[in-house]
Amino acid sequence: MKRFAPFVLFLVALAFGPGPAYATIDDALSFALEAADPYVKEGFTVREDYWGGDLPVKSTKAIVHQLFKGNEYWFWMGTDQKAAKISVHIYDSAGNLAESEAWQKPHFAAARIVPKKTGSYYLIVEIEKSPDERTYWSLAYGFK
Amino acid sequence: MKKALILALVALSPVVVLAEPPKTIDISKLPAQSKLIDDVVVPVPSEIFGVLDKLGPKPNWTAVQRPIKGVAPTPGDQPQIALLLGSVIAEGFIAVEAEDPEGVKQIGKSVLSLAKALNVDKSVVKRSNSIIANADKKDWTMVRKELDGALEDVKGAMSELNSEALSQLVSLGGWIRGTEALTAVVGKSYSKDGAELLHQPLLLDHFEKRLAGLKPKFKTPLITKVQKGVLDIRPLIGLVEGGDISEKSVKEINSITSDLIKSINSKAQ
Repeated sequence: MKRFAPFVLFLVALAFGPGPAYATIDDALSFALEAADPYVKEGFTVREDYWGGDLPVKSTKAIVHQLFKGNEYWFWMGTDQKAAKISVHIYDSAGNLAESEAWQKPHFAAARIVPKKTGSYYLIVEIEKSPDERTYWSLAYGFK
Repeated sequence: MKKALILALVALSPVVVLAEPPKTIDISKLPAQSKLIDDVVVPVPSEIFGVLDKLGPKPNWTAVQRPIKGVAPTPGDQPQIALLLGSVIAEGFIAVEAEDPEGVKQIGKSVLSLAKALNVDKSVVKRSNSIIANADKKDWTMVRKELDGALEDVKGAMSELNSEALSQLVSLGGWIRGTEALTAVVGKSYSKDGAELLHQPLLLDHFEKRLAGLKPKFKTPLITKVQKGVLDIRPLIGLVEGGDISEKSVKEINSITSDLIKSINSKAQ
């Protein structure tokens, strides 16, 4: 999804003339990475890989991801829509909320976890509020 | 006074405290609109090696290296080159742990050469140069970042060339080499915490699915061997959440991954 989405959007932009569509996932990623910036100074390594897409209001996406006990992780979500309210939360494989903390700001949301076990975790991303029909989002992560 | 100041700062902060998320969710009954994203982000080796460094005395990473003499040769078919490229990038992370600038520089050149064989070299020229320059400066943080970046750039370029399958093989090659190194370290000085790092059912299932879905043109004898290796590893990595992974299993996984890496590096495939 993440790799094809920009390419498909690019084709759509080519077909229907210049527009902001292609830029939006990249913009969302820029915001996610902006949220990550202060944590890089704290020693977090930010992965180059990321997830992204677009979602209608009040809908969620689940991402399953491998985490390792002994690391600390931050997940940073970004959107180009300032008026949107977005969120990210982390659950373990049994469905229990597993994050240590989480926060939201305009353009951003983030959640931190210090995994108690090595294994699969579920990241639930949501567009809680937005003036747009569909809102572009991106999720990056870092570890230390 | 201090408390009042803190409360005032909290009130003025742009951070909005979250509405409480549910304490539990039913993973088996995610709402229809919450369909799982099919994209799996494969961890880079340093994400796992860093934990080993924290667990005890720093492992002897030099003993785990598979030094590359000259530039890695490009074997015959594209699936093998893709697997080799992934394993060479993983080797770069091991060389960084071993703080081996010459090894890293050789890997930087090999990444470019293998990327060229896959027709995606344009996307990694800058990364390759940066890996070499930062190895000279012994800036290991930057080398790790550029290795991760090279991996993503190669995979991104392959996706644009409609070579998603090969892109997955790059990830798999890296995972196999990373797992070989991990099991070598844990096998030498076994601990339950170290072995727990192998509990990666999600990644095994992901690779298994991708290998099963490969087009017949990619199903070379090497790919069939890799597919069998992944299936053989699956029951060894802990089928039950929280279940211990034995020393015997660690050694078996090491044997399987070592054999696969030898085949990936072999010219005779």
